[in-house]
Amino acid sequence: MAVTSVRPERIRSKRSMARARARAELTPRDRVIKFVLGAAAVVPVAALGFLAYEMFKEAYPSIVFNGGKFFTTKTFTIGNLYSTGVEVRHGYKAAKGASFGILPLIFGTLVSSLIALVFALPVSVLGAILLVERVPRRFEAPLGVFLELLAGVPSVVFGLWGVYTFGPFFARDVYRYVADLHIPWLTGAVGSGQGLLTSSLVLAIMIIPIVAATTRELVRSVPALSKEGATALGLTRSESVRLVTLPFIRTGIIAAALLGWGRALGETIAVLLISGNFLNAYPKSIFAPFSTMASTIAALLDGALTDSTGMAIHALAEVGLVLLGITLLTNFAGRLVGRRLSGPGLPVGRGV
Amino acid sequence: MVRTGNTAPAEDAVTVPDDGSGPLRDVVYDLDDVAVYYGSYRAIRGVTMQMHAQEITALIGPSGCGKTTLLRCLNRMNDLVAGTRVDGTIRYHGQDVQAPTVKPIELRRKVGMVFQKPNPFPKSIFENVAFTPRANGVPKKDLAEVVEGALRQAALWDEVKDKLKQSAFELSGGQQQRLCIARAIAVKPDVILMDEPCSALDPIATLRIEELMVNLKEQFTIIIVTHNLQQAARVSDTTAFFTTEGKEGGVLVEVAPTRKMFDSPADQRTLDYVTGRFG
Repeated sequence: MAVTSVRPERIRSKRSMARARARAELTPRDRVIKFVLGAAAVVPVAALGFLAYEMFKEAYPSIVFNGGKFFTTKTFTIGNLYSTGVEVRHGYKAAKGASFGILPLIFGTLVSSLIALVFALPVSVLGAILLVERVPRRFEAPLGVFLELLAGVPSVVFGLWGVYTFGPFFARDVYRYVADLHIPWLTGAVGSGQGLLTSSLVLAIMIIPIVAATTRELVRSVPALSKEGATALGLTRSESVRLVTLPFIRTGIIAAALLGWGRALGETIAVLLISGNFLNAYPKSIFAPFSTMASTIAALLDGALTDSTGMAIHALAEVGLVLLGITLLTNFAGRLVGRRLSGPGLPVGRGV
Repeated sequence: MVRTGNTAPAEDAVTVPDDGSGPLRDVVYDLDDVAVYYGSYRAIRGVTMQMHAQEITALIGPSGCGKTTLLRCLNRMNDLVAGTRVDGTIRYHGQDVQAPTVKPIELRRKVGMVFQKPNPFPKSIFENVAFTPRANGVPKKDLAEVVEGALRQAALWDEVKDKLKQSAFELSGGQQQRLCIARAIAVKPDVILMDEPCSALDPIATLRIEELMVNLKEQFTIIIVTHNLQQAARVSDTTAFFTTEGKEGGVLVEVAPTRKMFDSPADQRTLDYVTGRFG
């Protein structure tokens, strides 16, 4: 370097002196707090990284064994565990007849969670706006408590309710009449209500509290001055919602929807109970049984543990890894969309 | 006609005779012994005055004297504040605005309002102006014309005509405030209420708004609340001075043509205030 050796050293020593002074100003108590806060800040990142790493390690044999077929085939079976033969591919063994293709599972996961979102989003947003802007103050808090209670109901309860009450009721009194209209994909056997649509509706009910509670905070953050501006123009309340409230909270709603979607993507036990657990093919209609990635992991885990080749477990780990990837990807994509939509200059309502 | 540089209205600019009898203009607002309460607190009382068409009426006075409260009763914006009660009568073209038959939404379409801080909607510049006319039933083909007319009247057209689709938040504070004025004008109101419209603006933006007000009064009745005495002196035709009596709330001291108010007020308290001895 052409720089004289004196200057950088002096700068370096100045810097280290400054750092030393800053360190000296910290009391032992400060240092403890600093360490704890730093550790706390690292935990979420570290946990996610560790999780992804472990999943990848566990899934690795399956990734090698299946290659691209994992994503391009439809049959997911752990094979004949009682057969003496094994299948060997790329140096890894699996039970005879094993096949690991998750296309229908990806389809089921995405479609059921998206249908849930389609139902949950309008209800949540409308509910949150009504709660904040129309319901008198003194009823607002008690009504809000119901939302939080709904969020706290264990998902297995939702699952049982979906199987025994909600599903049969809808199959008998609603689905039948919809199916009779013979709209493609919205027609066919409705059975006892176990299937894609019932699962989606129950998922919708499960994510409404999350989406609505988040949206409620957004609606509360809309500046009063902007709302007054609409009122002063002689606009009605619904016009004011369209003109002021919705544009202000638009990008925040995307974030709220992502939270809900994330929950719907990963919901396991309720979907397992209601889905009808139908593997290896796409559902024939919106009423038909299906499976998701999460529900399949839960359904097959027990059997997979008895696979002496270990490949079944590896394959389920790969399903989990893909699910993790999809969840992260949808979150990331949603954030990008949110940023694009918000554009420059909006003072509030940026994605959370 | 621009005469914002003077501290008092020029002789030829305003047809307010020096005797203070006032011009023969239509009475738009007729207030009779108005008092406004928030719950049990009386924010302002004793307001008996008139506001005339094609004039700028300024409401001045120290903080807490109830000027804004009074202004917000004129278009029933105080309905939004729970526990507000109005005593006395406020007549708008002879109609009691407190009457149960009066629909606040319809009143507010006749009586526009501009706020202390610019509050454009989170939409495009065009949509800020177009939304209300459209909601009021202006056909789509006429909207562009209405928007252009309002923006021209608000002296904003030349600055924004090439970026009507951009967000209103990209405008400067002064431009935003003129957009809010354009938005109010687009509804074709009869009155425009302004609540310290320049308090968040720099001096140059303030001057532009003042010029605008003077131009707009040809068509609209303007009632402005201001803390800026020079502003009241520069732009208004009639001034009402309010003061505050602590726990007793605000009270109207006197109403007079602006020139008289600043040269020879009838009340000692007004003189103290306009000469800067108090407030």
